[in-house]
Amino acid sequence: MRPDPAWRRYGTYVLALALGIALWEAAAVFTKPVFLASFTGTIARLHELVLSGVLVEALRSSMLVYFIGLGAAIAVGLAAGILLARVRLLRIALESYIMLLYATPMVALIPFILSMMGFGFAAKSVVVFLFAVFSVLYNTIEGARSIRPEMLEVARSFRSSEWRIWRDVLIPYTLPYAMTGVRQAIGRALVGLVAGEFFLSGTGIGLLIVRSGQDFDVPGLYGAIIVITVLGAVLMAVGRALENRFAAWRGLQR
Amino acid sequence: MTTADVTLAKQEAPGWRFLGKEAAVRVAAGVAILLIWEITVRLWAPAFVARPSRIIVVFPTVIVDPAIWQAFALTLGSVVQGLAIAVVFGTIIGIAVGRIAFIERLLQIYVNGLFAMPMVAILPLLTLWFGYTGEARLATVVFAAIFAIIVNVSDGARAVPPEYVEVSRAFRGSGWSRLFDVILPSSVPYLLAGIRLAAGRALIGAVVAEFFAALPGIGFYILFNTRTFRHNEAFVAVAMLAVTGVLFEFALAGATRRLLPWYRRDEPTE
Repeated sequence: MRPDPAWRRYGTYVLALALGIALWEAAAVFTKPVFLASFTGTIARLHELVLSGVLVEALRSSMLVYFIGLGAAIAVGLAAGILLARVRLLRIALESYIMLLYATPMVALIPFILSMMGFGFAAKSVVVFLFAVFSVLYNTIEGARSIRPEMLEVARSFRSSEWRIWRDVLIPYTLPYAMTGVRQAIGRALVGLVAGEFFLSGTGIGLLIVRSGQDFDVPGLYGAIIVITVLGAVLMAVGRALENRFAAWRGLQR
Repeated sequence: MTTADVTLAKQEAPGWRFLGKEAAVRVAAGVAILLIWEITVRLWAPAFVARPSRIIVVFPTVIVDPAIWQAFALTLGSVVQGLAIAVVFGTIIGIAVGRIAFIERLLQIYVNGLFAMPMVAILPLLTLWFGYTGEARLATVVFAAIFAIIVNVSDGARAVPPEYVEVSRAFRGSGWSRLFDVILPSSVPYLLAGIRLAAGRALIGAVVAEFFAALPGIGFYILFNTRTFRHNEAFVAVAMLAVTGVLFEFALAGATRRLLPWYRRDEPTE
């Protein structure tokens, strides 16, 4: 198959969007407004929310929690992961437990966090952190396992210093895997953010969603969901780009 | 050559093989983790916070309590049902997206967008549509799972080697035979990868829906018990969820190994 020229690709996307919007608008005519707000109504409400500053303020407070939680998760996950890559005994000791935590649905811990840490900003950042950290850690360890022991042996027999071992073997080999973890973490942290804002104290975009639902402000609800979806798509694209940038290191085209 | 292979095999043993010395190290680490947890909670946390010694005490009574199993069955039933629906429809849509350029162009932005959306966000909408009922939970599960499957299956359908399709054409195979004998089988590994991803999301979706709509199930069991300060009981339920998550992983990894012994996607060949 020949790749399409760019204008045609984007043209079809625009067409697909236009079709979807037309379908939505038409469906809204035949559905009760409690279930489905019309597209134009949603956009009008979204415009209102932007003008009143509610949306901007919500996004600001959400992103603060998100990036603090995610940043901490990436820092801790990478540092701990690379440490486990170097110290084999530690890795053997802990990797089963890390895998267990990686597979645990972290939402289940939200009620515990609520009753131990309360509703505040810190509690929500912890939720985001917990959702994200094990993705980074687990994938970094996967990367550590991909290092051939011969590599370390060669480095050692050439009297590489500890620093050079890290710089030339450990970090280049684990980072591509770690970036897969970061990509996953970006998505999971967003789920954690919304869950935290739903079930701990209502703030930010999560509160906007819940409150619109409770007030039967259906256009506002759809508007807020569109905002979070676009946010998710943008963040995921950033994650993909990051992953692909480093995937070249392990000689994989993904 | 041979010696190198042997060391390699030993080094790359999967993380879950409990063998000899390594097993001892693991058990010791587990004991250490539990001890740290116990001591931390005793020193700094309020008395109601879950800690290993209390969990062990309540464990026998909680695990024979029919209430926890009923709750668990409700949640798991919903997850399995939702996953089944997502697999059937996700595969159909995924194949269509992967093989038919027109449909791909039409649906791609929507599929990618909804795949990236945190499914928690749609809960208030689903409760508006379905009420505070089990159907809202089922819808959440389907919604959480289906896009992971569509994305993976369409990748798989796109990656069918064109030679296979050409051979099928050359032998005048019908369109159906091409679909069922060529495209579907060669997409199966991607489908399994999709189910693996979807299963985790589905479990989260079910628990979150129970929190949000106060539906009876294991999520609500956890919520109710933590609210009444019975953290140890609630923690047994969390452990059940963790074990379920791991068993899902195992089952799918096992299925991949058994059904597709030739398939090595996760391990980059060097």
